[in-house]
Amino acid sequence: MQKAERLLDLAAFLLRAAEPISWHEIQEQFPGDYGGSAEAAVRKFERDKAELLELGIPVRWSSSDEDLPPGYVIDRDEFYLPNLELAPEDLALLYLAGSAALAQGVFPYARDLAHALNKLSFAARAPGASETAALAARNLSRDEHGNGSRAGEGSIARKLEELSGAVAAKKRVHITYQGAERRARTERDVDPYGLYQSGGAWFLVGHCHLRDDLRTFHLARIEDLRRNTASPRTPDFAVPPGFELRELATRETWEYAIHPPRHCTVRLESPVSPEARASFGARARLRDEPGGVVVEVSATNAEALVRHVLALGDRAEIVAPRELRDSARSILAGLARRCA
Amino acid sequence: MSAGTTKKPARPAAPRSAAAPKGSEQRVGRRAVSERGACAARPSTSSRGSDPHERLRRVLFLVPYAVKHRGITVKELARKCGITEKVLLEDLDFLLGVGSPPFAPDDFLDLYVEGDAVHVALHQSFSRPPRFTESEAAALAAAAQALGGEGKDRALGALRESVPRDRRAAFDELAGRIYAGSPPARDSVLGRLQRAIAERREARIRYYTATREAESERTVRPWTLAQRFGHWYLYGFDLSRAKPLPFRLDRIRECSVTEQRFEPPSEAQLEKARLFSDDQGEPVRIRLGPLAAAWALSRPGVRLVERTGDAGAVVEVAGAREDWATRFALSFGGDAEVIAPASARRHFCETIKRALARY
Repeated sequence: MQKAERLLDLAAFLLRAAEPISWHEIQEQFPGDYGGSAEAAVRKFERDKAELLELGIPVRWSSSDEDLPPGYVIDRDEFYLPNLELAPEDLALLYLAGSAALAQGVFPYARDLAHALNKLSFAARAPGASETAALAARNLSRDEHGNGSRAGEGSIARKLEELSGAVAAKKRVHITYQGAERRARTERDVDPYGLYQSGGAWFLVGHCHLRDDLRTFHLARIEDLRRNTASPRTPDFAVPPGFELRELATRETWEYAIHPPRHCTVRLESPVSPEARASFGARARLRDEPGGVVVEVSATNAEALVRHVLALGDRAEIVAPRELRDSARSILAGLARRCA
Repeated sequence: MSAGTTKKPARPAAPRSAAAPKGSEQRVGRRAVSERGACAARPSTSSRGSDPHERLRRVLFLVPYAVKHRGITVKELARKCGITEKVLLEDLDFLLGVGSPPFAPDDFLDLYVEGDAVHVALHQSFSRPPRFTESEAAALAAAAQALGGEGKDRALGALRESVPRDRRAAFDELAGRIYAGSPPARDSVLGRLQRAIAERREARIRYYTATREAESERTVRPWTLAQRFGHWYLYGFDLSRAKPLPFRLDRIRECSVTEQRFEPPSEAQLEKARLFSDDQGEPVRIRLGPLAAAWALSRPGVRLVERTGDAGAVVEVAGAREDWATRFALSFGGDAEVIAPASARRHFCETIKRALARY
């Protein structure tokens, strides 16, 4: 019997059973599948159980009930998707967030997300308005050509899918990486700890065996990617307990560790847009004053702060320290010469 | 496994069909299914269609969905599953062979196509999909985290409860391994917008318009939220402008939900809906130095026009406003300049002049 068919047969069998099914009976009912040597049959059954669990079907060994014989069961309560007892607006959050993410065309576990959204329609009594809005979100998030993928995104989506699997199974990957600053191509092994999105681009964070340190990789610069396929269900590494993806992901560019911290002051002239305020991140201190806002940050990569302030246009300026102010002026003077 | 020891009998299709009350219709339908899937080595149309694991996940949704939506069309069910009709018919054919011991006629799944509609006669307990797998729930959780809103924690809690008990620890861990971005607006603003969308109520918002550098009050029929190039937008019908418009979420300062209900947008309205106008005008051209080129080209929406001699590049961005192009070029700190069209070049140079005057 084909494996897919066997797995569903097994699930149907256990779901229907009124009491736990002994190993002996399973063997008897599936002689062609779990026959042969005892050890091989048990191993095959264990693999099938693991695969069913990956599909969301937990098969459990039950021996605690005194009135029933010991055996394998699928608890119906543990199998069927329950109703999510959520208010309509909370359900809308899941629908809208999931649909928009899927429509980006580039999202980790994109296939899983599509399955999850499908399942959501079972998990609520009246998804109504939210479901319609989610459909609209998917339409809108696509580009004008009617599909979600733009130039180059197909390959990013494939890398994300591969990396998502590697992150979940904790499998090592081998990558060929085109560095941005040094512009050199390197090959390295990476233990993938997590994936994050920033400014519309996806990044891999992991332990880099070449540098023996934690490193971040821009997915668009990963030219080749191979996942360790040996022992797919055995992890290659453990993620260190103190690892916080969120901390790394919310790091501003001027917070990359390049030099010791320097205190910097920026001034924004009114009217200051909400996103200009927000652009300095969670750790900046903002002070409103007549005619504008003063921003104080601690920078460990001051060059990046200069770029950020320049990008805010002609109503933002670096106030201190002096060298940074000079650096901004010299960049602007250079560009002004090219404009002349 | 040798065929001789297999106890599972082949599905006894013919006698059952004949015995069924609407036998003739069923047979027609069933034959249609089996004929299309009859070729011994079925080459599948797509890798997704033939991946056995994907197929299992799909049919675990497909069967209960067809149970819930009796008589759903082949086309609609295929669309819902994200597959072609051909693959769906292959799935249905595959499902006819699924059953449980002792594999008597009524122990098999029974799905059939009648006319164009899919019916489920026997679902063999697959009447509801399985719980979320940890990766399904983690992907949805990451998306929800990135959007935010007052109900986020409740939604995430419910999501977690819907993962099998044994897998919740794995879900917790995996959810911490994806970060899809920082929420685009204050939780209270988002929470109210979500409520307005779910209850189809008009919302009053205080909105910052970048081009006019001013805030204004608007009343909007919120149709949906959507994401583009890393930014979130509210898309809805602006009552004072009498047309649907996008509003960037990070520019919405306040939001209140009114008592006024509205009718959902028609399919035709949504069909025409675009976050941005199709008429995008001339694309903006930017010349980049070597370092800037490497970064810019890895951004979505940036198209390479040509490589320049110094490992730099000239790129084009469609649909970009002049102020956006100026800021984008300046974000490379002197390694990029806007070169065309003339009006965008002028905007770039004037901004530089004014910024330089500050120093």
